[in-house]
Amino acid sequence: MNVLKRYLQSFLFFELLKGLSVTGRHLFARKITVQYPEERAPQSPRFRGLHALRRYPNGEERCIACKLCEAVCPALAITIESEERADGTRRTTRYDIDLFKCVYCGFCEESCPVDSIVETRFYEFHFENRGEHIITKPELLAVGDKFEKQIAADRAADARYR
Amino acid sequence: MSAKPDMSTTQPPDADMVTIEVNGEPLRAKKGSMVIQVTDAAGIYVPRFCYHHKLPIAANCRMCLVEIEKAPKPMPACATPVADGMKVFTRSALAHDAQRGVMEFLLINHPLDCPICDQGGECPLQDLALGYGKDVSRYAEKKRVVHDKNIGPLIATEMTRCIHCTRCVRFGQQLAGIMELGATGRGEHTEIGTFIERSVDSELSGNVIDICPVGALTSKPFRFTARAWELTSHPSISPHDCVGSNLNVESRRHKVMRVLPRDNEAINECWLSDRDRFSYTALNSSDRLQSPMIRDGGRWQEVDWSTALEFTVAGLRRVIDQHGSNQIGALAAPASTLEELYLLQKLLRSLGSSNVDHRLRQSDFRDDQALPPFPWLGQSIEDLESCQSVLLVGSNIRKEQPLLGLRLRHAGRKGAQIMAINPVDYDLAAPLAHKIIASPADMILGLAGVASALAARGKATRDRLPDWLSKRVPTASEQAIAQVLATRKPAAVLLGNLAASHPQAATLRALADLVAELAGAALGVLSEANGAGAWLAGCVPHREAAGKAANAGRNAYSMIREPLQAYVLLGVEPELDCLEGGRARSAMEAAEFVIMMTPFSPASAPTAAMQYAHVLLPLAPFTETDGTFVNCEGRWQSFTAAVRPLGETRPGWKILRILGSRLGQPGFDYSTIDEVRAEIDARTLTPSSNLGERLLPPELRVDTNTLQRIYEVPLYRIDSVVRRAEALQQTADNPKPAARMSAVQAASLNVNDGARVRVRVAHGEVVLDVAIDTRVPDQCVLIPSGYPETISLDAHGAVSLEKAEKA
Repeated sequence: MNVLKRYLQSFLFFELLKGLSVTGRHLFARKITVQYPEERAPQSPRFRGLHALRRYPNGEERCIACKLCEAVCPALAITIESEERADGTRRTTRYDIDLFKCVYCGFCEESCPVDSIVETRFYEFHFENRGEHIITKPELLAVGDKFEKQIAADRAADARYR
Repeated sequence: MSAKPDMSTTQPPDADMVTIEVNGEPLRAKKGSMVIQVTDAAGIYVPRFCYHHKLPIAANCRMCLVEIEKAPKPMPACATPVADGMKVFTRSALAHDAQRGVMEFLLINHPLDCPICDQGGECPLQDLALGYGKDVSRYAEKKRVVHDKNIGPLIATEMTRCIHCTRCVRFGQQLAGIMELGATGRGEHTEIGTFIERSVDSELSGNVIDICPVGALTSKPFRFTARAWELTSHPSISPHDCVGSNLNVESRRHKVMRVLPRDNEAINECWLSDRDRFSYTALNSSDRLQSPMIRDGGRWQEVDWSTALEFTVAGLRRVIDQHGSNQIGALAAPASTLEELYLLQKLLRSLGSSNVDHRLRQSDFRDDQALPPFPWLGQSIEDLESCQSVLLVGSNIRKEQPLLGLRLRHAGRKGAQIMAINPVDYDLAAPLAHKIIASPADMILGLAGVASALAARGKATRDRLPDWLSKRVPTASEQAIAQVLATRKPAAVLLGNLAASHPQAATLRALADLVAELAGAALGVLSEANGAGAWLAGCVPHREAAGKAANAGRNAYSMIREPLQAYVLLGVEPELDCLEGGRARSAMEAAEFVIMMTPFSPASAPTAAMQYAHVLLPLAPFTETDGTFVNCEGRWQSFTAAVRPLGETRPGWKILRILGSRLGQPGFDYSTIDEVRAEIDARTLTPSSNLGERLLPPELRVDTNTLQRIYEVPLYRIDSVVRRAEALQQTADNPKPAARMSAVQAASLNVNDGARVRVRVAHGEVVLDVAIDTRVPDQCVLIPSGYPETISLDAHGAVSLEKAEKA
């Protein structure tokens, strides 16, 4: 009996149709593929992407070289050198993040007393040459300048939970 | 006190001891000690800000409040003397509540700027706030703001952070000897500051940075450059004076970031002089020589070590072949390590020359053979504090060996009588019981007077005293000094750096030795830097390592006065480090071959080395080499490199090792520095400061009628490292070089303060500003050495001054 059943099923392409029915179902179901880069997956305001150094509205850099981020960084990705600037304030002369070492844990952002180092929503970056993975202070500030509006909005959205 | 250590009940309780109970634990304590001292000794922590074990008690921070049974309120542990049967609770609810309350008060006005505060991470207030502070402040009013003061190039202030513990004030009053900082105003208006707008100029001022429990006083050269947690601490020894202070060199990424004291009760306690603390700034300067250089055909070029060594060996060989090995001389900086000095003399002696010396600032070597194996303090540094009378001869101890000055100040506070025979009335910060301020020539007469006054007291001596000495009628102050020395024991006679560079140093040493013998006092000799190590290493022309006699070669002075054909300079900048800079330069210029081992490029210094040197070998300073320093009490202190040598710099012992090998000399195949050290087997030598034979000239010729130069090397000009420490150069201890003289002397020349005079000596003449200085005796002019303006002048001899045109 079983032999006959199997013979009929294979003769009538039953397995093929059964398999195709999944395809057919999905053909008409709602599409979930995100058409990157035309489409983007939604992001949380807490998304941890590329780092940025922020400025105050008057253009003054926020970072005061307290080095808490350097101390808290579990991957030792941050290197800071500091000095007294001509106006007597404490500033960094060097602020490097090694993006190969960074694990994007967000501790630096959390430890920062002046909301200077932040992780932006930007994650689409690549390196073409050796050495580019270490991003420097001017680059970080430029990232901050570029995304400041979004960064500020995200901090505001998250403020009540902090 | 009972010798038995146990506290068994069968022994009658010691009259000096009481038993108290702390947190239920019985503790023995000395009568009159404070509760906090007992708890500290027992390892029970009581929070504190104003209490410091080396400072007098103030009890004004109230952080150490503890509960004491039967006391109605919490009592400050730092100011409550123990009593028998006292029960103390340091962590009871009452004590803890009191401590938390005090912390809340302290934090009311303390700014919340820990992220930009240099003390952050090593701040007692920050640490204790974690344990005793609240997480939210109840205080909503405006915080107090205090204006910052500029108190000099070494200490940065942020007075808003001050919690008025007054540690800095007490340090100045009790230890530095001058109350430079004080508290003005009361209550919330209290401010710490200099009373009038001025800088803090003590040679120990940097210590207030360490004792400040908050970030109100921080280090200016270190300001904002690093955090305590990212620094690695390396134990090291100071190379700048003969104290051998213990330091911690703190580095980050192979760069020295700061220097802190390391506790050693026998040497520097917990203090450090500014010179030791801030000299590191020179090590990171752009003046460092980073690769070997040779001058071939008049042009300097950077080369690799191999080429430089070949060039050096060829140069030395040429000089030996043409002029003989005794035409080679070596001059070593006294701040070099024991091993470097040993290998230098070994190299020279193996080449057949005994011309090796480190005593660059001395001119009188007549008593070389009679001198003890190494310059010794005559006692331990700690013993200095218990002296009852001290006679300083030619010593500005406070600036030359600041921490020995501190010990003397302690002695003075305990009742010792400090006396001085000096060419300048230095402020020694301990009141001088008696003093003789005389020209260099008259100093000899002064000391002779003391000796003759002591001899008149009937004490016999092995020497037959020459007539000029035994017949000298002592003056009143000479009598008084003799009286004090003879009656107040223990007594000490200390010969300072000015005595060593005195034109008749041997006579002065003989007299000091005589005085010490007659008075039954210890004779101490304060050498420069690692001078004791240099003697033990054999870096003197007439002695090999460990004091063995050698075929005497030429001493430093004669090497300069009668130039040689080749010089090996170990860390020396001849014009600035030698007694007679002008002559040193001529000697170097006349030489056929000059090898300079130096941490710094001479192009940055006021020397002509770029014209006369032939090879520059980058030498590692003390932070970058292993080595040993021997201090004035004969204590050997070895240390290891704190950071790796900068660029192509190499440790001195390695440079000398390879030079020895390349010159084909046997015995230079060391693999570690320990092997070098083991060869200098001098630990069995008994230290002594007494002369074998006193060189008292039968006739004393002192010229007291002509104008004399007083030669001194200011404390921040002594070696190539401190001369480049920018912060130290800006201090008040480093004024612009001038011809300093008394008002009487200036009047006789018809010049005023600020006028220009032309100074002429036997060799060299310069034009200097006149500064009226009440410390200088008449018939003298004090001209500091070690400055570009004065290097060309001879140190001793007659001076003529004449008015010059205003520049």
